[in-house]
Amino acid sequence: MPFLIEHITEVVVTILFLVLLGTGALMVATIARRQRRDKYFQRIDDLRQRYSPVITSLLAQKLEYERGLAVLKGISGRDRIFVLEQLCLEKRPTLDQVPILRRLCEDLGLVKVWQQRLSGRLDASTIREALGRPGGLLERVGRLHFLVRAKAADNLGIIQHRPSWPLLVKALDDPHPDVQAVAVRSLATIQEPDSFAPLVARLHAVVLKPSSTLSVRAVKTALVSFPLKQTVGLIPSLNYSNRRIRFLATDIIREIVERHAAWEEEFVLDVKVFPPELSDVFLNQLCFDENPDVRARAAPVISHLEDPRATPVLLTLLEDTQWFVRLHAVRALAKRKYLSQALQVAQRLTDLHWMVREAAARTLLVFGRAGSDHLASHFLRTEDRYSREQIADEMQRAGLIPSLLAQYGSGEDGAEGRVIEQFAQMGKTSYLISVLQSSSERDLRKKFLQGFGRHPDPQIRAWVRHLATREPDEELRALAEATIHGAVSKGES
Amino acid sequence: MEEWRQIFYHAMNMFNVVIVSYFFLANGTYTLLMLMSLGSVWLHNRQLSYQGLDELRESAVTPPVTIIVPAWNEQTVIVDSVRSILRTDYPSLEVIVIDDGSTDGTLNGLITAFRLIKMDLIYRPRLVTTPIRGFYLNPRIPNLLIISKENGGKPDALNVGINVCRTPYFCTLDADCLLERDALLRLMRPILRSPINTVASGGIVRILNGCEVQDGKVVKVQLPKTRIERFQVVEYLRSFLFGRTGWDLLGGTLIVSGAFAVFHRETVLETGGFQHETVTEDMDLIVQIHRWAVHHKRKIKMKFTSDPVCWTECPSTMSMLARQRRRWQLGLCQTLWKSSEMLFNSKFGVIGILSFPFHLYVEGLGAVVEFLGYFMVPLALLFGMVPVTLFILFVVLSVVYGAFLSVGAVLLEELTYRRYPSLRDLITLLWYAVLENIGYRQLVLLFRVQGVFRFLTGFRKWERVVHVGAATS
Repeated sequence: MPFLIEHITEVVVTILFLVLLGTGALMVATIARRQRRDKYFQRIDDLRQRYSPVITSLLAQKLEYERGLAVLKGISGRDRIFVLEQLCLEKRPTLDQVPILRRLCEDLGLVKVWQQRLSGRLDASTIREALGRPGGLLERVGRLHFLVRAKAADNLGIIQHRPSWPLLVKALDDPHPDVQAVAVRSLATIQEPDSFAPLVARLHAVVLKPSSTLSVRAVKTALVSFPLKQTVGLIPSLNYSNRRIRFLATDIIREIVERHAAWEEEFVLDVKVFPPELSDVFLNQLCFDENPDVRARAAPVISHLEDPRATPVLLTLLEDTQWFVRLHAVRALAKRKYLSQALQVAQRLTDLHWMVREAAARTLLVFGRAGSDHLASHFLRTEDRYSREQIADEMQRAGLIPSLLAQYGSGEDGAEGRVIEQFAQMGKTSYLISVLQSSSERDLRKKFLQGFGRHPDPQIRAWVRHLATREPDEELRALAEATIHGAVSKGES
Repeated sequence: MEEWRQIFYHAMNMFNVVIVSYFFLANGTYTLLMLMSLGSVWLHNRQLSYQGLDELRESAVTPPVTIIVPAWNEQTVIVDSVRSILRTDYPSLEVIVIDDGSTDGTLNGLITAFRLIKMDLIYRPRLVTTPIRGFYLNPRIPNLLIISKENGGKPDALNVGINVCRTPYFCTLDADCLLERDALLRLMRPILRSPINTVASGGIVRILNGCEVQDGKVVKVQLPKTRIERFQVVEYLRSFLFGRTGWDLLGGTLIVSGAFAVFHRETVLETGGFQHETVTEDMDLIVQIHRWAVHHKRKIKMKFTSDPVCWTECPSTMSMLARQRRRWQLGLCQTLWKSSEMLFNSKFGVIGILSFPFHLYVEGLGAVVEFLGYFMVPLALLFGMVPVTLFILFVVLSVVYGAFLSVGAVLLEELTYRRYPSLRDLITLLWYAVLENIGYRQLVLLFRVQGVFRFLTGFRKWERVVHVGAATS
């Protein structure tokens, strides 16, 4: 079929030619791009070298503001805005730098440009600037304009430009999800009290409309960053019929409260920061909510309340039917002020779920010596194997074994010996032996040898054998040898 | 006799049709993926300017993540790797290293470096694994846990990590990999931002060979010295920047490199964890999750992002490269065979209709077709069935098309991340993108065919690639 072959040949030649041309074009484009970018960034780097020290000095208040501003206003060129943006926002400002940076951005005309960009308007300077840098023009064409809007929203957030909050709230309805997400984030940074309600409304919308392009986590993250006094705005959400909204609202308050608690050691939610109507919702409603997730997340908040009803409510939650509610309740009690509830917490050491048992052990350890005593006493008394295992786990993880051995070695006739005995019975001697191996305390090793040298645990026996052959201290070595012989003769008899 | 001759001619013609169809199908798809990736990666790079990593870093809502590092005889790299991992920029991070019954000093090295103490802790396996020998902790480094276990292979080691891990997400990381400081934060970003449940997120793996490393951090990026390593740099760019990005854009992610990926723990547990039936447990898990999601009617998403970077050492010798590629091909065939119900199954959407068939026919069986082509087409030429001109043109076209795609990958790199700062390195990359198609590609094809052959003969052994430390410090 000569015709067909010729036809194929023509097709292949054409394809080959096109591909060759394409390959060449790609190669040229790659190198040209590199050279263009190198040249462009060389300029940016030069400007950075010249002007970054000015901005640094301005932000550190080491340079008179007007003088610095005049220097920066001297920057010209088609990409002036982009360059200024790069210089001013190169590093994330610290809290004390934000007011100066904000003023600087306002005076340099950047804020106005960002606001215009966010509202979707274009001006001549923006287009001029776009022409001046690689990819700049593309971003301003049609559907890609969202990149400009999102960046503008981000910049307004970085400088915490409070007057721009209505614009950012409007941007929550932007057609592009990126702009919505950045607007949410910027609103969280600005923390304008009036923007809290629109964000809560957005949370409801995101939960109720599964087709939403914004993630629940994004809105929740934003709401969590607001101060404690804003939480009153979540009361309608706490009473909402949708169980997920109630859960999210409770969890947001929990996050805010936990953040404050992490800052202050003796943190309490008193009426000054947490109004009674909010406390009432937690104490009368959320702790009995039909959604166990709500009950679970309410527990940590309740534990910070300065209200006599709080402790009984927490103790009720300790007995909840759902294990994770009990878990959160136990964790919520991990504060020194609940030391008097140690017994109730200790009861959870026999919980059916291991995570609750683990949390109970950890909570008792937070109580200090009294809690440790409860733990040790439970460890020795309980018949529940799982409970014992869990306590042994926590005592090891918390690094309590060295102090346990130290107390045992100091000669006090306490419960330590029995705890060690229990560890040996359970075969959990790795940590004990490694402490003994690295210990230089002769008395401790001697006492342990006398007390447990004949224990059948393989690790203890290996340690005794090691002492009998390698120990430089003659008395200890002899004691170890005697222990081995004693054990052998006992075994023979 | 004449009848046999006719059958032979007919068969040869058929094969030639197959090889030409394969050529156009494979290259056409690759070209499409490249074009899509050009747009997607460029856009993603622009979006990074307002990504808000600080917010993720500081937010209390950012979920904790556990990095699981399976290690078997990794004494030369493990301590530096763990130090580097512990410095990862992430608000709440836990690290679990699983010593999979190493016979060298892996465990002792870790015990000494981090002053670990052996503890007798509780092990609650939800996934069946080989027995645990011991847990090693230092109460002063509470976020580091080393587990020593009996040898059971990489999937088994990863399953131990999943059993012990407490966080909602975990990240798998190979012991010889170096993470960029904010890589995990970047990898988690698509999970946290997506309104749909994102159960897996993969990042880009770049080649460490030739780069300068200080304190577990890549401080100078440059091309490796040997040809075999340079070819792999081009290959990795092609594979990650436009292969995976393109499929991600289409919603057809079928491969997420287990060397560096984040998974949703509960989902992985529900799907049964990492399986032992294949030698590429990462791809197997992804396919398994897709199947599970369809069978359980769950709406999930998997994401590949090109900016979280993990550096890894590529094979620097031919024998190691052969081992690696044979294993990859074997694993690909095993995984696809195991999940053949997905082939052209519309229930699986893009995965079933496009991605799975592409991986099966082009990436899997295509290797055999291409390999046979190198023998059958000259045979056809010998029997006068193909004109010499056409034969030469096809050979040239195949080489040039390969170069076109590889150069495209280099351009993609240049348009976006520009990791190789020297112009000389860039030109070298372009040169190797062309050169790769003469010799290297055919060699890799041979290894891939060996992989397919091993699959057909039921070979299941994991061929270990030994790393020699090709980065400079």
